[in-house]
Amino acid sequence: MMAAGAQPGSLEELATRPGRETLLSALARRSLIGISVAFLAALLLAPLAVVFVTAFGHGVQVYLRAFADPDTQAAIRLTLLTALVVVPANTVFGLAAAWAIAKFDFRGKSLLITLIDLPIAISPVISGLLFVLLFGMRGWFGAWLAANGISIVFAIPGIMLATLFVTFPYVARELIPLMQQLGNDEEEAAITLGAGAWMTFFRVTLPKIRWGLLYGVILCNARAMGEFGAVSVVSGHIRGLTNTMPLAIEALYNDYDFTGAFAVASLLTLLAVASLVLKSFVERAGYRRR
Amino acid sequence: MSITLDQLTKRYQGVPVVNDVSLEIGDGEFFVLLGPSGSGKSTLLRAIAGLSGLDHGRIALHGRDVTHVAARRRGVGLVFQNYALFCHMTVAENIEFALRVRRMRAAERRQRRQELLRLVALEGMDERLPAQLSGGQQQRVAVARALAHKPEVLLLDEPFGALDAKIREGLRRTIREVQRELGITTVLVTHDQEEAFAMADKIGVMNTGRLLETGRPQDLYTRPTTRFVATFLGAANLILARQGTDGPRWGARSPGLHCPGAVIGAREREVVAVVRPEEVEIARSHEELFSSDYLGRGVVEEVVFTGALERTRIRLEEAPEVPILAHANPEGAALLEATRAQFEQRAFAISPGQEVTIGVRRAHVLPTPLSSFTVCASNASAAERLAGHPLLLDLSSRMKTRIRRHLEPTLGETAPSREAAASLPGTTVIAAHRNVASDAMWLLEQGVEEVLILPEHAPSLQRVLIHWTDESARRATLAASASVLRHIAAEAIYVDVLPEKTAAAERSFGFRDLLDARSEARVAHGLEIRTELRFGVAAQALTQLLDESPGHMLILGITSAAQLAGELAALLASPRWPVLLVHREHEALARSRSAA
Amino acid sequence: MREGQPTVLPGFGLTLGFTTFFLSAVVLLPLAALALLAASTPLDQLLDAVASPRALASYRLSFGGALLAACINLVFGFVIAWTLARYEFPGRKLMDAMIDLPFALPTAVSGIALTAVFANNGWLGRYLDMAGIHVAYTRVGVILAMTLIGMPFAVRTVQPALLEVQRDLEDAAETLGAGRWYVFRRVIVPAVLPAMLTGFTLAFARALGEYGSIIFISGNLPMKTEITPLLIVIHLEEFDYRGAAALGFVMLAASFVILLAINLLQAWGRDRMVRRGQ
Repeated sequence: MMAAGAQPGSLEELATRPGRETLLSALARRSLIGISVAFLAALLLAPLAVVFVTAFGHGVQVYLRAFADPDTQAAIRLTLLTALVVVPANTVFGLAAAWAIAKFDFRGKSLLITLIDLPIAISPVISGLLFVLLFGMRGWFGAWLAANGISIVFAIPGIMLATLFVTFPYVARELIPLMQQLGNDEEEAAITLGAGAWMTFFRVTLPKIRWGLLYGVILCNARAMGEFGAVSVVSGHIRGLTNTMPLAIEALYNDYDFTGAFAVASLLTLLAVASLVLKSFVERAGYRRR
Repeated sequence: MSITLDQLTKRYQGVPVVNDVSLEIGDGEFFVLLGPSGSGKSTLLRAIAGLSGLDHGRIALHGRDVTHVAARRRGVGLVFQNYALFCHMTVAENIEFALRVRRMRAAERRQRRQELLRLVALEGMDERLPAQLSGGQQQRVAVARALAHKPEVLLLDEPFGALDAKIREGLRRTIREVQRELGITTVLVTHDQEEAFAMADKIGVMNTGRLLETGRPQDLYTRPTTRFVATFLGAANLILARQGTDGPRWGARSPGLHCPGAVIGAREREVVAVVRPEEVEIARSHEELFSSDYLGRGVVEEVVFTGALERTRIRLEEAPEVPILAHANPEGAALLEATRAQFEQRAFAISPGQEVTIGVRRAHVLPTPLSSFTVCASNASAAERLAGHPLLLDLSSRMKTRIRRHLEPTLGETAPSREAAASLPGTTVIAAHRNVASDAMWLLEQGVEEVLILPEHAPSLQRVLIHWTDESARRATLAASASVLRHIAAEAIYVDVLPEKTAAAERSFGFRDLLDARSEARVAHGLEIRTELRFGVAAQALTQLLDESPGHMLILGITSAAQLAGELAALLASPRWPVLLVHREHEALARSRSAA
Repeated sequence: MREGQPTVLPGFGLTLGFTTFFLSAVVLLPLAALALLAASTPLDQLLDAVASPRALASYRLSFGGALLAACINLVFGFVIAWTLARYEFPGRKLMDAMIDLPFALPTAVSGIALTAVFANNGWLGRYLDMAGIHVAYTRVGVILAMTLIGMPFAVRTVQPALLEVQRDLEDAAETLGAGRWYVFRRVIVPAVLPAMLTGFTLAFARALGEYGSIIFISGNLPMKTEITPLLIVIHLEEFDYRGAAALGFVMLAASFVILLAINLLQAWGRDRMVRRGQ
């Protein structure tokens, strides 16, 4: 513990070192900063800005009219509904999986972890494809479903399932390393002091992991509302019925209704920015990803 | 001289982390920088290596000024606390790194590498990766790597911190042997005093950025000059004693202390004596003390058996003649520590609760002037408020000394009387107010030698200004300043003020006085100070300087109480800065008075 | 976890059971369906779907483009991670937070936004067009979208590795006489190499499977700017489940190989690290 923050190796110490600041190093630093800023401006800032500029390109009235469209409204409702179903389900799953993996040793643990990571590694189109193969007209359960009048593919349940598949790792992946890192000592202490399972979970574990949980939920929600590829495959693109917001954007765009498309896009962009803000808030509250 | 450091200062956010450190290390010497964490020793080492810049000062290695030379051209070898081995390179590649940079041919590199591996007893480990080595082995690779390019100076930054005790000892021996064999000047930084004793030719003790003392381990242990060094290098009992015209003694009626090398002063004053626990003798009664001088009686509080030694803590009885311990203890009575060897235990076994007689074989009087503090106020609540002043609490806890309270209801009014001085030992502390100068004058006439005037609110100290009205006050003022500055991380500046109309010729005398002051501070007190010369009236010049920024303190040396009657009075009364008055009677006057 | 001792914590049966059920229903079952369908397809139909010229062209674009995009991300990702880790400049915190934008933004939105920016009359597209570089509806556009989608991976894997390279190592190298460029080449880059490769592989995997951000800017011209996922969608729309399954199987196999590579790389990186303070 050094006096008053003059840590060896800190950037401050580096700055005072003799022979440090040369012309070449200053030049290198400026160019690297310049390149980074330019790269990110072109790839991130410009697209971000273009969403709002185009959405409001014809004025606020036209922007608002885009949301008066009943198909668009249905899409928004469907997206919200999906998120409302999918996120809690995946949170429960994430908590259960993290508890099982972090607190116990059993054979097949690494296989389990790999399986949990799977949806992130495979293309969203393939994710959607899997469900079509199972529940589609000519899929495994296709005949049985048709006979009983249940439609999954090209209907809302299919959309929910596909979204569920694509987003379920997010909460688990945040919680597993976190709980592994936090260890079992506190829970074991609680048990020996006489607490029951649920009490231990709610009073001891949950408070410890709350920031990681929030982080995972934020990510899960962002992905659930924004998923395109998988949903596109299973939804059938029926306007007003099986279009989520991203699909509505595609539909409007293909119809050359750019203002409409970007108007809906602006909502999702705001959601993305809000997610990022929440993320940095959580990180500042002390949660660092490993 | 192999390494010369001249007035090195490094500030971080205004606070000096390394504060005016000057040091000379000879060729081939093994020098250890010892100090607690935060004392600035690592920063100092990194500054020598060139990894940290300086705000002030010069560094010379083997006569070459390297202050502005980049680290890679200084020719030093640095061994880090966490080894800092390149984990993607093998042991061989690590060691050869410096040689590769200098484009040595592969065959020569290999030869040198083998030499070094032999030196650190790691032959055959060439192709291992650092992850495959134990901690001790990794550290040895780090040493070999640092020596590859034949540096002029070897620097080690707490190299054994992360290792087990047994490995540490082995490594210590290895490094010492390597150093002796190569004859390379070495500086090692540590907070472990045992390590410092085991390895050093000379030790430099640092605290709060200042280099307090340097010397051989034995000298620093038996004859420290400061409280900090006395207590840092080993357990120590600090006892307040009285030093009179015939030498030091414990109490008014005790016989003289056996105190080799004690300096006889002109008048009786309170001093701090260091008594090491191993120099304390415990016996049944006064007559049975056979190797020591009598100190007093006490009750055994605690006895701990630690194998070769027995550690005891004894509560001394409280009586007017019995000396008290300097430690500020909330319960009031402090405990004396003693260690006894096996044969002493066999001669006289003790247990808790037993009444015993204490004797002291050898004591060492510290030359530091500020022995303890006595808060003086007109009523009890004012005294308590003063006793709780942050600056006072800070100083007294760092100096490990007591704060007594003394009520003087007629503060500033009574006629001087000889008796009062005896009840105001040490440094007297009073609160600042408009007429504080008259309070101070009264105290000085009582015979008090140091008065600390505290305003109600004093921001944390960053700078101390030192001034004396007459050259004969110089020594005492510097001694007091050194004592204060050892315990506070602040800059010290001596300010000399010459009259406005000084002729050019006499101005040079002024400069010479500055140099004299600085060299005396350094030589006699181990204190590095800056100097400034101002022209005009002393009080005004000082006020101007003190007003420059908050966090100032003034240490003022005077030779007679009358000097306070003039403009200096305003300086004392200021609510913005604390003032320490140091008063030693003009020598000629003192001599004439004692002759009378 | 103490070995061999029965744990005192509750909930093993419940949580493991639930997890297994969930995974089986949501992951294993669909995968099994895919595998079985692909396996039960007659060989000639299989080859027709998997090895047709159109399919081969889409592989060239998907795999080749993803590879190129990952290479671009390797370089720029390092530059950005370096800049964020080492330099102080106004807006640095904002820039750091924005790196995660492609993570959070829906792919459809990035798709249409990228197209708007780089189209012939777009904000940046018009300047590139004047210089003769066409982005929209060409392979360049596909690679651009792939770069965007993989960029956060490249930066976020290298950034912590750079910060973690013990400052001591650079200090040690400097006291041993090495100049800054030497230190960079021989000390810093080797230390972050595993992280860089992990980032490369992750970016590659992501770009390979990406759909939403690409189909808008690519124009979807068969044999030219058609990516493999799109081909799968087309098969599905034609109700050619077998063909879709076959193509899906090819992509899945590739994903598995990549996953394996990532795990091996991460293990390699961990092995090289010295145990600290030991």
